[in-house]
Amino acid sequence: MNLLEPLQYPFMQSALLLGSVVAALCAVLSCFVILKGWSLMGDAISHAVLPGIVLAYLAGWPLAVGAFLSGLLCSVATGFIKQNSRVKEDTVLGVVFTGLFAFGLVLHSRTQSELHLDHILFGHLLGIGPFFTLKVIGESPGAEYVWSLDLDFGSLGGQVILVGILVAALLLVLRRDLLLVCFDPNHARVLALPVKFLTYLLLALLVLAIVVSLQAVGIILVIAMLITPGCTAYLWTDRFDRMMVISVGTAVASTVLGILASYHLDGDSASCIVLAQSLAFAASFLFAPKHGWLASKRRAARNSAFPSAVS
Amino acid sequence: MPDFLTPFHYDYMLRAIWVSALVGGVCGFLSSFITLKGWSLMGDALSHAVVPGVALAHLLKLPFALGAFVAGLLASGAMALIKAKSRIREDASIGIVFTSFFALGLLLISLNPAGVDRKTIIFGNLLGIPDKEVWQLVIISAVTLLVVGLKWRDLMLFCFDPNQARTIGLRTGLLHLTLLTLLSATAVAALQTVGAILVVAMLITPGATAYLLTDRFGVMLWISAGLGVLTSVLGAYGSYFFNGATGGCIVTLQTLFFLAAFLFAPKHGLLSARRRARINLEAKIPS
Repeated sequence: MNLLEPLQYPFMQSALLLGSVVAALCAVLSCFVILKGWSLMGDAISHAVLPGIVLAYLAGWPLAVGAFLSGLLCSVATGFIKQNSRVKEDTVLGVVFTGLFAFGLVLHSRTQSELHLDHILFGHLLGIGPFFTLKVIGESPGAEYVWSLDLDFGSLGGQVILVGILVAALLLVLRRDLLLVCFDPNHARVLALPVKFLTYLLLALLVLAIVVSLQAVGIILVIAMLITPGCTAYLWTDRFDRMMVISVGTAVASTVLGILASYHLDGDSASCIVLAQSLAFAASFLFAPKHGWLASKRRAARNSAFPSAVS
Repeated sequence: MPDFLTPFHYDYMLRAIWVSALVGGVCGFLSSFITLKGWSLMGDALSHAVVPGVALAHLLKLPFALGAFVAGLLASGAMALIKAKSRIREDASIGIVFTSFFALGLLLISLNPAGVDRKTIIFGNLLGIPDKEVWQLVIISAVTLLVVGLKWRDLMLFCFDPNQARTIGLRTGLLHLTLLTLLSATAVAALQTVGAILVVAMLITPGATAYLLTDRFGVMLWISAGLGVLTSVLGAYGSYFFNGATGGCIVTLQTLFFLAAFLFAPKHGLLSARRRARINLEAKIPS
């Protein structure tokens, strides 16, 4: 039971619960992100939240509000500059997000603050502290324990989970409409869906998810959680609902394995989570039944063995 | 003695200023090609992907440029493989590969606390850069400038119109590899001055700014290189007053220059476009 030894510590339980919720949220979103082709957008927004966090700290606002506003500013400014100049969109995005991030660094260097840049950049999952209690509240007649999970919503971890569940619920309810908007905006328009509103809604949910996830994995690696699980699932199935289930499954499993690995290796937890997700992707890339490399190789070999079958 | 001259009295500040000017200039030259080619995401990806190479090189006591270079090539190979052999889109495959490499780099650093500092890689270490690393930067810059100087016309054609380049008998595969190699090399150099996260700004912002100011590629090259040098010198100097946030200062300045060009550029700026639109409108209204 040595392998599961970390589970007995409250800070590890907190880390596992929070990490799993964040991973599941990002995994749901990642299915939309990769269909929409927003990988770079996600990367940009996650960096652009920095000045908002520092300014919110200076103004005494909740940090998440500042982060949300400056993430939105990044995407709005990019859209404006792209429409009014001849520079390509990906270049504009690069210019804007690095500018905001650099401004955040300069601001931070001028504040004598206890705002830990390290925690914002790399996440602070193991330091989140206990925010819930798991209690046995009685024994049912079948001699099974009845558990109750008390969340402390005054604490950061509890709030993250609350917001995470709300965002995920909204995504699940609207998934059909959002999917159509990502896949085929013209078709969506024909069906009289509010395409512009839904696109901005998705963008706002993306920003919100990034802000929520910062606590767990940090600015730098949150983008991995927003791309990799969706891509892994995309290699396994052609159906969107299944893709979401697989995406959430691999993301949560990778998070649990990553946190356990980071405990045993004594290494950075966010990196371990991301690497576990990357390994899941690498395995799918090789072995996925239909869209994997080996499967397509086998198909190609069979086709060349019986060339008449093709023509 | 006035306050604003104090940075010049320190050797480490003088060295930081000339080293950053050199790197800024080289990145500026290259950024013209990168913006034309539309490789912003590639620049971002490579600058993150070199990190495990740097960490391993420190472990094995090899020159950091060598490790970074190998990691950069491995990453671009992996991106090409995923794109060619699966149905994942290019931008997503770039994202997966560079975050994996970066995570591996951070893990290696966290496993070996005595080695290279995490902060050095993320924010650069211009003010405390050791002598032998300065030499590596000088060599990287010299080689990059030499290659760009000899081959800039071929590279320009390749960036503008690869088909045309192929038609007139240029070896586009080789040019692609050359540009990728130069990109990795300069990403490593810029890693030292502004850190892994802001390298991409050095590689695209001067080029994008210059692109708003001129229509001629030769002029664009010089403007972007000049901007790279100017912002790096001012940023390194300014970082003396900003608690050593060198990368932040340099890139903030570059973004301000870009915004100024976006608003006020004589032909492609926002204000002149608005003025033109108004004049056109007035010309159309019959009096």
